[in-house]
Amino acid sequence: MSNAIEIRGVRKTFGPKVAVESLDLDVPEGSLYGFIGPNGAGKSTTIRMIMSIIFPDQGDLRVLGKASAVESKDRIGYLPEERGVYKKMKVGAFLNYMARLKGIDSATADKRVKEWLVRTGLQETYRKKCEELSKGMQQKVQFITSVIHEPDLLILDEVFTGLDPVNRRLMRELIQEQNDRGATIIFSTHAMREAEELCDNIFMIHKGEKVIDSSLEDVWRKYDPKTMVVEPMNASDIGRGWGGLPGVKEVVEIDGVLDLRLRDGADVAELMKQAAMLAPVRRLELKRASLEDIFIDIVGGSGGESAEKLRQTLQAGKGAATELEEVTRG
Amino acid sequence: MVKVFIIAWKEFTATVFTKAFILGLLLPPFFMTVAMVALPLLMNKKPPTVFGHIAVIDQSGKVAPRIVEAFSPEKVRERREQREKETKEQIDKAIKSSGLSEKTTGDIKKQMEANPAANMANMIADTNLTVQVLPPETPVDEARQAILKATGREKAEDGNASRLALIVIPKNSVVSEEEEKGQPVFGSYQLLTAPRLDIEVQSDIRRQASRAIVDTRLADAGQNIDRMRALMAPPVAEEKAVTATGDSKINEAAKLLVPGAFMFLLWISTFSAGQYLLMSTIEEKSSRVMEVILSAVSPLHLMLGKIIGKGAVGLLILSLFSGAGVAALIFFAMADLVAWQNLILLLIYFVLAYVMVACLMASIGAAVNDINEAQSLMTPVMLILVVPMMLWMPILRNPNSMFAQVCSFVPLINPFVMVLRISGSEPVPMWQIPVSILVGLLTVVFMCWASAKIFRIGVLMYGKPPNFATLIKWVRMA
Repeated sequence: MSNAIEIRGVRKTFGPKVAVESLDLDVPEGSLYGFIGPNGAGKSTTIRMIMSIIFPDQGDLRVLGKASAVESKDRIGYLPEERGVYKKMKVGAFLNYMARLKGIDSATADKRVKEWLVRTGLQETYRKKCEELSKGMQQKVQFITSVIHEPDLLILDEVFTGLDPVNRRLMRELIQEQNDRGATIIFSTHAMREAEELCDNIFMIHKGEKVIDSSLEDVWRKYDPKTMVVEPMNASDIGRGWGGLPGVKEVVEIDGVLDLRLRDGADVAELMKQAAMLAPVRRLELKRASLEDIFIDIVGGSGGESAEKLRQTLQAGKGAATELEEVTRG
Repeated sequence: MVKVFIIAWKEFTATVFTKAFILGLLLPPFFMTVAMVALPLLMNKKPPTVFGHIAVIDQSGKVAPRIVEAFSPEKVRERREQREKETKEQIDKAIKSSGLSEKTTGDIKKQMEANPAANMANMIADTNLTVQVLPPETPVDEARQAILKATGREKAEDGNASRLALIVIPKNSVVSEEEEKGQPVFGSYQLLTAPRLDIEVQSDIRRQASRAIVDTRLADAGQNIDRMRALMAPPVAEEKAVTATGDSKINEAAKLLVPGAFMFLLWISTFSAGQYLLMSTIEEKSSRVMEVILSAVSPLHLMLGKIIGKGAVGLLILSLFSGAGVAALIFFAMADLVAWQNLILLLIYFVLAYVMVACLMASIGAAVNDINEAQSLMTPVMLILVVPMMLWMPILRNPNSMFAQVCSFVPLINPFVMVLRISGSEPVPMWQIPVSILVGLLTVVFMCWASAKIFRIGVLMYGKPPNFATLIKWVRMA
């Protein structure tokens, strides 16, 4: 299977700041790839370089077998992080315009626009002005602009931001549908949970450097569970000697639920057995490491930064300036 | 390239098919038409006939009969006919001195005759005035009470002709009572009028009273009145400008108006189109639709499409207004004021001027987040906007001065200067036209290059608005 995207030793700086450093990445055709990392990690920069909106200082980049995305723009669907609609334009006209810009002839364009509006529950909005739509509806309209031309490669930057749970699910379905159709999909998010639910591969980036690039299965396999959750039936059992169980490093109690932090190489099966014998429990569960935990583990381990600070960085909402701005403005 | 035209078409329709644009474009010609049709109709309507009498207190005892005679029906009709004849002669003279061809002037005359509005005499109110001579010893204060009663009305309520004016002629205004350096000195006379008396009637009364007094003085001195008047008539000057091609009678006003109109056309179309471009770029920036568009087209193609689209808007404005202008000139049979080559040059200079302004506007629009931030970067655009207005008069006065020639090769303003010069009265040296176009082209190429760079970086830039130094940095960086 050939690769939809190949990145070799790419480096990009903005003034003194290195946005992306010696990056290598292969995205196989037909895969669903998640780009994860905190705000300012270099996700959008990488995506913009893939889209040939900005260009790397060093290294090679091939998109759909071409040296530049410009040569295959009509085969790529892109939903940028900074996105909007023409406020005064009618929804139908806007989508038709975008479809025409993506190389679809006008007759086909209108047919597809109407199909997509029905598919996303927006059929009533064809003649409405874009500004009359709610934010979530606008988001769906923007998504339609990126898939209307049935692209072979679909790049979605922070696609779930601002959607309610119902529309989140719809969006997941739509993305899955595109993937089933055969499209290669890359989506970036700083919310790692979204990535866990959707991707088969993840690509994790921190301060411009790749920290993980593998299938999600491999990630789970590689990063052993580190925490066992115990919820005793009786509150009085909380104080029992949980910390003395084999392999337990540390016990943390939160509202009657105990997190038993495990040592590396702890015998999980034996621990389960012993814990069940210690006291009657309502719940006993081996907690799989979340991507967030893994990220903090890797980054914290290598860079020596505090886990708490990293968690904050991850959870920091949108609105932080992107790396491109900070440097070129000053 | 197809995409560039899809963008251009969208940009064109997004501006042109809006109520604001259609109204803004159609309203001025609409009002002009209304003014051209309605005004003459209104002006052609005669003011109401003025009824009333003029009271005269003649303390000299010699002038009153002359005033009575001046307002006799025959004399009034005579004066009106004389007035109409003079107006016609003045119009003829104005047309002749415009320097237009025989055929054209003939056409104008025909149209003026067909148009009753041109008959200025129609503007004068008909009068039905009588003169009432009061005894010379009548107190002025008592006589003026009657004027007060007539206030605001030309016909008194009791049906009697109301007193519209009172002329008081002291003896010393007719008979000199003192001398200065051997010449007689005369006193003044009083003219008291009703406050709302028709202004034409009022000045007629003044003229007739003054004339009656002067005639009386001449008669007293034993002179022949008609002969004296003939001797005193001011002679007419026949003015001609001396040029190499022969004496020219070109009208000064036309000389100034045609280049002015040309530059105004260029100015209004360039800057309206530029303004539309700025607004649409800022809108794409601030609504964040920019990168969505860039997912489909390259920044350069987007900029190109936008510039072409709004340029078409400018061209539409230019052709509508200049079309209306040419139509008006043809209607008034003055089309030979404008040479067709100049219209083609106007088109060329429009393209040059517009692309320069458009590059500036596109760069500014791409660099800022909203219209307020754009204000601070608008200074250079404002300069290009204001300078042609300042150059207008000096260049028109002397289209081939060193100053005008130098300005013709200064980038950014040279299209405006050249348009002024080519439509002016003196022919521009032939080599200067292609050279100025070349300068314009070089400027356009440079501006496109620089603004493409600024545009490419600016469109994705949000946050603190850049200043000029940053823009220059972007040009060097990319």
